[in-house]
Amino acid sequence: MTFAFHASDWLLLAPELFLTAMGLLLLGLSVALGKTKEDFLAFLATVSVGITGALVAFVATRPERATPILGGAFVVDNFALFFKALVLLSLALTVLASARYVGAAPYPGGEYYALLLFSGVGMLFMASGNNLISIYVALELMALSSYVLAGYFKAEPKSTEAALKYFILGAFSSGVLLYGLSLVYGAGGVMGLPELAKLLASASRSNLLMLGILLILAGLLFKIAAVPFHVWTPDVYEGSPTPVTAFFSVGPKVAAYAILARIFYVAFAKFHADWGFVVALVSAATMVLGNVAALLQSNVKRMLAYSSIANAGYALLGVLGFRTEWGLWGILIYLLAYTFMNFGAFTLIILLESKGYAGESVSDFNGLAKRSMPAAVVMLLFLLSLAGIPPTAGFIGKYYLFTAAMKAGYAWLAILAVVMSAVSLFYYFRIAAAMFFTEGSPAKLKSSYALSAVIAVCAVGTLVIGVVPQPFLEVLKSCVLGR
Amino acid sequence: MSDGVLLTGGAGVLFAVLAAVALASAIAVVVARSPVHSALFLLLSFVLVAAIFILQQAEFVGAVQMLVYAGGIMVLFLFVVMLVNPGVTRSEKSFQHQWDVAVVLLPIFLLPFLYILGTEKLPDVPVKAEAFRMVGTRVVGNTEAVSWVLFRDYLVPFEVASVFLLVAMIGAVVLGKRSLEKMD
Amino acid sequence: MDALLRDHLVSVVVFLPLAGAVLLLLLPRSAASAARNIAFGVSVLDLIVSVPLWTRFLVGVPGFQLRERIDWIPQLGITYNVGLDGISLLLVMLTTVLTPVSLLFSLTHVEKEVRGYSVAFLVLETGMLGSLVALDLALFYVFWEVMLVPMYFIIGIWGGPRRIYASMKFFLFTMSGSLLMFLAILFVAIRHHTATGAWSFALEDLTRMTFTGRVETYLFLAFALAFAIKVPVFPLHTWLPDAHTEAPTAGSIILAGVMLKLGAYGYLRFALPLFPDAAMRFAPWLGVLGVIGVIYGAMVAYAQHDMKRLVAYSSVSHLGLVVIGIGAFTTMSLSGSILQMVNHGLSTGALFLLVGVLYERRHTRELDAYGGIAAVVPVTTALFLIATLSSIGLPGLNGFVGEFTILLGTWLSPHRWWSAAAATGVILSAIYMLTLVQRVFWNPLVVEENRKLTDVRPSEFVAAATLVVLMVWIGVRPNDVLDRIRPAVESLQKSVAARQVALHESARPEISEVRR
Repeated sequence: MTFAFHASDWLLLAPELFLTAMGLLLLGLSVALGKTKEDFLAFLATVSVGITGALVAFVATRPERATPILGGAFVVDNFALFFKALVLLSLALTVLASARYVGAAPYPGGEYYALLLFSGVGMLFMASGNNLISIYVALELMALSSYVLAGYFKAEPKSTEAALKYFILGAFSSGVLLYGLSLVYGAGGVMGLPELAKLLASASRSNLLMLGILLILAGLLFKIAAVPFHVWTPDVYEGSPTPVTAFFSVGPKVAAYAILARIFYVAFAKFHADWGFVVALVSAATMVLGNVAALLQSNVKRMLAYSSIANAGYALLGVLGFRTEWGLWGILIYLLAYTFMNFGAFTLIILLESKGYAGESVSDFNGLAKRSMPAAVVMLLFLLSLAGIPPTAGFIGKYYLFTAAMKAGYAWLAILAVVMSAVSLFYYFRIAAAMFFTEGSPAKLKSSYALSAVIAVCAVGTLVIGVVPQPFLEVLKSCVLGR
Repeated sequence: MSDGVLLTGGAGVLFAVLAAVALASAIAVVVARSPVHSALFLLLSFVLVAAIFILQQAEFVGAVQMLVYAGGIMVLFLFVVMLVNPGVTRSEKSFQHQWDVAVVLLPIFLLPFLYILGTEKLPDVPVKAEAFRMVGTRVVGNTEAVSWVLFRDYLVPFEVASVFLLVAMIGAVVLGKRSLEKMD
Repeated sequence: MDALLRDHLVSVVVFLPLAGAVLLLLLPRSAASAARNIAFGVSVLDLIVSVPLWTRFLVGVPGFQLRERIDWIPQLGITYNVGLDGISLLLVMLTTVLTPVSLLFSLTHVEKEVRGYSVAFLVLETGMLGSLVALDLALFYVFWEVMLVPMYFIIGIWGGPRRIYASMKFFLFTMSGSLLMFLAILFVAIRHHTATGAWSFALEDLTRMTFTGRVETYLFLAFALAFAIKVPVFPLHTWLPDAHTEAPTAGSIILAGVMLKLGAYGYLRFALPLFPDAAMRFAPWLGVLGVIGVIYGAMVAYAQHDMKRLVAYSSVSHLGLVVIGIGAFTTMSLSGSILQMVNHGLSTGALFLLVGVLYERRHTRELDAYGGIAAVVPVTTALFLIATLSSIGLPGLNGFVGEFTILLGTWLSPHRWWSAAAATGVILSAIYMLTLVQRVFWNPLVVEENRKLTDVRPSEFVAAATLVVLMVWIGVRPNDVLDRIRPAVESLQKSVAARQVALHESARPEISEVRR
């Protein structure tokens, strides 16, 4: 292997390097400016994410990105760019949604935003990770930042509990993942995904390899909160500060799917028959448990936590569909739709929170239509989209996922998914009924520009993808991975 | 296990002994009642792992293991233990109520693992140890070989790991700091 | 403008209400009377615009007319593909008539959140019209779902005391069915893609597919379930009385008048042509369920004390008759079913409207709360009587033509006993409807409050009289309608028969294939 640095290598790393630098700057500024200037820090964090996005767009135009750089560890293909854009989108939304929430709380804002940006750096590296070890380290960077963010409101016992649960279970799952990676490395002797794919193409099925694949799968299923690795989700979602919960429900999941797709679509596709069965079972269990458990919740964050578990089950249909490109497209479009609709729903929870820390209940939504019709209509849009009703983004996403599952020969799973979507209507429409049919607090709704902007972006995204999906689908087509 | 050149004969026996003792002391870390004992067992386990590295002719990694873990980190641990002086912890019921579940589950997961690891043939280790220390066509020293790998082939993970450590530090400070500055 | 109306008449009719809804959203929320008037005005305008559909439609020509086709999501082969045949034409006209009628009634009777109410009705109208003209399955599904949400809110916000329960039940029942249909649509489209390499959701393309027995059965059942819930066919009807009882009057008119028909329409338009073999195999079951529906609905209706619930169960009974006609599958019975859908829309719409008139004055729908009011409110009584006579099939009014055609058509099919059983249902309907009239309008006047009842207001009269005029028209000149239905029915039968023959000749290949 010949190896040389080029100046252009650093060019391709520009988004990651810039975001890291801005994280460090925020840390320094928070000391210098103190607690009074947190709005400025939030603004700076938003701008940083925006510029990083511009850098990603710039990188997209560079011809150098045709080949992996830095010893093949870092690749900037269309797939990576898609996920980088999506990760930055969720990051920007999180920063904006946090501004008022964190500003009002007695905790320093500088470190909060810095941690968000660092976890963003981890996710950007995850999107581009092209060998096992860099993927793992990037994942850990993202995860460690997440643990701290979960426990950021440390005077709240629920927050601390969330952080502890997330950390212990997360560290355990990382161990499982690492063990799996080491077994696969042991079986193949190479770290790079393309090399691994080449090697496995001619390799025969061995127990060692299967065990490695299974452990990697288990480690990643934890990150996307699939049954039976989901137990942390409701507690962590409930206990974390709500903007952080919103972030957990999209950013890290999206990045974990990037890894899942890259490893399983590129390297392990050959053994689809072996792991496909496991994924099918997990997907079925996840959809059933997520939706049924969500029915029983009265805390709306817990309800959406189970809803996001259920959504992970739907998205696994795409993983099953990795036999054809449809699986990959399904995941991409669904994650895009999911980012908008799920984040939007969580932002409304932030807006409506009325009973102190971790007390968000469905009754917060009572009479929302009277207090603010636009807010109620927009929330309805998110709920319809989450339930997969046309013409919303969620429908297009489910459309692709179901198609992928059927094309891969899992019609029974698609039927189950549809039945479970019907079940999900029960709890989504509990919120809708609360908003429109019941009386609630007459207090005027106080929004901020930042929150309104987040909600508007999410609503527009949810609606536009649903009504004019064509341009988005065109982009997807160019985002497939080679194998 | 396949018989690579590094782990045959006396070296193999030595490896088995070192590994077994390292494992036993790792378990002792968890089981020991006194924090000081735990810390010392941890030290022992670090040292033994360093010995295994050296046995496999990875002298540099062995030395780093000794310096960083057995030296730096252990000293910090002991410092904390001395400062806090938690005494001997009582055996708390609450940490043991899932023993029965563990006893059932452990063999279910462990036996297939052992079976697979025991029956599968790992790829052969290259016969010449020098192959690990090749840079281009040159055979270099242990330290140089590590640095080539670390700063060349695995530069990305290495750099990401540095940010990772930074985050760990921030997290420790943020969560560990006693007072909330905005509360006062 | 002329070009728009010439080339895109169907689209204009479909989207005009939606445009009105958008316009309403620009109004301030408090502008109640403006919202009311604009909504009514838009629906009347839509009725006027839809009249050319009726006049420009070529009578006696089979196939779809006034077609439009634009690519919507080319990547998936989804097109905006609309057109009319005789069946959809009639139901479109019914929709454009009933929407202004129900909004006219609401002009004076809805006070709460008028703007939202008007928006919901206009969106609902677009959803219904779109479902009726869509010839692309994906497009149909989108409109089909768009229709649900406004109705959910109409029941849930402006409904009666148990409105939340009723709206949830309505929504979950219909949604569960349509989700399975969605999956079946996807499956058919994927098969089409596998067979031809091209994506398409167009009805014409997909009807060329044939499926093997088991697969066809499952797909058919998925479609049939969605439509049967909507109709509703007997064991799936439980949402209907609740929804009707709780819905506001205008909501009931639309629900009974149009939305229930969409179930039968969807069956005829999609389930039958796509899966002819399975449809024919299940036709006897359908007929039996229809017979059960007719008799069960009639008997339960007789036992009701609430006028609206009574009319709601009478819908179950009447639509059972429609289902029998479809199950018998003769030209005459099918034509009768389609005609009867329109008739039921008119007569039940009028009945709900007049029950609403009484309810707005007395705020009760209990039969016992009335009695002997014929002298107090003569106009209401007259209108109610005509609607009742239409509903029970008095010769000279529309109901007679429809019921008679169905019964005769079914008698000509192999299933004569259905016809006999259904005839008893017709007799039962006379019993419960006339009992209703007797107890409400005649009988001695015992409740003093009823002496102070006021008769219909002008707006209510116009609304009801419009429907009565149409009842008489169809009763006197049924061929105006039947002539438009017949070619559509014949081509439906022909295509089903042709495909069945082809299916049995082609020795059932294991994997579906496309016939050219």
